[in-house]
Amino acid sequence: MPDARMAADVHNKGVFWEVKNGNLAPSDRLRQDRSDSPTPGLVEGTEPGAGQEGAMFVHAQSFEDLTAVSESNTDDNSAEVGDSNLESAQEAALEGGEEESLEAEQEEVGKEEVQSRKKAKEEDVTSETWRSHRKHVFVLSEAGKPIYTRYGTEEALSSIMGVMMLLMSIVEDKKNIIRSIHADGYRVVFLRKSPLILVGVFQTNCSDRELTRELQYIYYQIVSLLTLTQLNHVFQHRQSYDLRRLLAGSEHLTDNLLRLLDRDPGLLLSAVMCLPLASSARDMVSSSLQAAKAKNLVFSILLAGNRLVTLVRKKDQFLHHMDLHLLFNLVGSSSSFRAGEGWTPICLPKFNPAGFFHAHISYLEPASDLCLILVSTDREDFFNLSDCKKRFLERLRRRNAYQSLQEALNMPSYPVSQVGIPELRHFVYKSKSSGLYTSPDLPAPYQGEEELERLMGLYQQLHSCLHNPTRLLRYIYRCADTENLYALVTSGFELYLCFSPLGTKSLAVSAVNKLLKWIRKEEDRLFILSPLTY
Amino acid sequence: MTAMRVDAKVVMLGKESVGKTSLVERYVHRRFLVGPYQNTIGAAFVAKALNVSDKVVTLGIWDTAGSERYEAMSRIYYRGARAAIVCYDLTDSSSFKRARFWVKELQNCEEHCKIYLCGTKSDLIEADRSVRQVDYHDVQDFAEEIGAQHFETSSKTGKNVDEVFQKVADDFSSCALEFMQEEKGVDLEQKKDSYFDNCCHN
Repeated sequence: MPDARMAADVHNKGVFWEVKNGNLAPSDRLRQDRSDSPTPGLVEGTEPGAGQEGAMFVHAQSFEDLTAVSESNTDDNSAEVGDSNLESAQEAALEGGEEESLEAEQEEVGKEEVQSRKKAKEEDVTSETWRSHRKHVFVLSEAGKPIYTRYGTEEALSSIMGVMMLLMSIVEDKKNIIRSIHADGYRVVFLRKSPLILVGVFQTNCSDRELTRELQYIYYQIVSLLTLTQLNHVFQHRQSYDLRRLLAGSEHLTDNLLRLLDRDPGLLLSAVMCLPLASSARDMVSSSLQAAKAKNLVFSILLAGNRLVTLVRKKDQFLHHMDLHLLFNLVGSSSSFRAGEGWTPICLPKFNPAGFFHAHISYLEPASDLCLILVSTDREDFFNLSDCKKRFLERLRRRNAYQSLQEALNMPSYPVSQVGIPELRHFVYKSKSSGLYTSPDLPAPYQGEEELERLMGLYQQLHSCLHNPTRLLRYIYRCADTENLYALVTSGFELYLCFSPLGTKSLAVSAVNKLLKWIRKEEDRLFILSPLTY
Repeated sequence: MTAMRVDAKVVMLGKESVGKTSLVERYVHRRFLVGPYQNTIGAAFVAKALNVSDKVVTLGIWDTAGSERYEAMSRIYYRGARAAIVCYDLTDSSSFKRARFWVKELQNCEEHCKIYLCGTKSDLIEADRSVRQVDYHDVQDFAEEIGAQHFETSSKTGKNVDEVFQKVADDFSSCALEFMQEEKGVDLEQKKDSYFDNCCHN
């Protein structure tokens, strides 16, 4: 059973820094005949976009996820039946605390001249703009020391973070756990991941589950830089340690991840988008990457911006989509890898939070968006991997695949009009078994940042309705002023559709079949159907 | 099995944001990128070939991240390095303290690695003398004490940047000549010539 093996790996601490090649393989799916006329009742593994040779990604959630889910379930319940006095007391404490702390901060402002943080960070935390941000995220240590804030500086917020810490301890003192506070359109969500505490203050009506997931991403982002082993080690050594020393320079990674969480449906759906590419070209790229292997190479990943071109992995080793998103984020938020060939330790926390992999990260050409990530277990492997990259490039060029790759990259993805469904503005389709999703270019009304985030927010709400553990839904249709939305989940896929306000429910329902047929027809191009291993 | 022929491994060390990447950018790509500060993640490797008298020497330059997070890893970057360019920010005295730390580390672990102290952002000093926090003569004394070379550079204007790397390559190649001398007995005159040439350049 994959879960059990995975669990074993998670607890396999291994050598301090190095990752062992744990076996994370889900049992390979049998090759199934592909159905010609897909229906919404498709079973997992036969839906459009399903891989032919089993999956590239870890399917099941890790042991940690599974236990975390059950925890949060029980807590959701307890929150509902929970003592309402306690909740309101907490709210009052928070409000009161905020005022107090704000007063205290004004005195401190003078001392904080010597700060090397970016301008965006130097926001006055007493100002109305600071308060009106839609999504605040704070990270602190169990000693209450500030580690990260999305807006403003940590120093200026030390007293607020102290209050958060206090809140947690008061509740924990009574053998309880504080999960969230709902008040006045705000949700304050707490996540304790020892030795860290994450708190989100959101202006949203998404479920706590969704919001906790976002905090988890931030937690794993920090682990990916340090490993859990090092994190624990540091705080065991000195509880009051200022973790910002070790995280210096990584704030923009976290900032960028928070932006991705607002804009990239992949993080919401636990899936990755592929670069649309003719299957012959993709196979050529994959096989070239497969041929350029090295002894300790575990994953070879070719990215085009935030889209996956191909992923080749060591046999029996699976990447978790979350780890892949963290890699996307690392590459996407730094120009550092354009300076030369990057060589960095990186922990893939879902694979194994205890140790570092070593990643060779470089762009195929200085001005290109194609970025190659080669992940090895050996920290001395730089020149071997550099050589792998060279061999890969030579092979690509010899077979003229580089050109077609570059062309595909320059083309826009595809307009939604190609599907030929009236009133359809946008959709997101995820094939569950492959962990890949596809989505057309954003149409005009959603191209601005604000509008994009609004659309993603709508999808997120639908997602949170469909996946509510106490009330699972199969589909949901929602009419709003500016668009009509239809979301559908089956054992094989998840689909989110956005129609103009002129769309009707019957149109939406009939669109599903048409869209599935279209995706089936195009799946060669939109998905990676035959993932390779070394 | 190496991907490229590299004659000498050169490592850039120093506190974060002193401008190690900018120095390499300026030297290798002849550019200075203006924009928000981007810290290096792990380390970046570039190979650069340059002429020393009539020979070509390829420097493999490891531009390391200054962040403390990577300190435990730093050994893999400087191990076996023939030269270390230890950078500090002329306008930040704490960065010089950090430079001393790296010098000590190198002296303990890599005795064959030549050290080049490099004060960065000299254009800021030229614009306003009062921002200087690290005295030229103090560093000069320190450099003599540890047998290091000392430069003050500006990646923005390009001042002294080529000189640092040229000196690294010259020293490497004359050092290599010394080795060769023992084995093959290379013409001493030739070496002297190139040595005097360098003096004139400086």
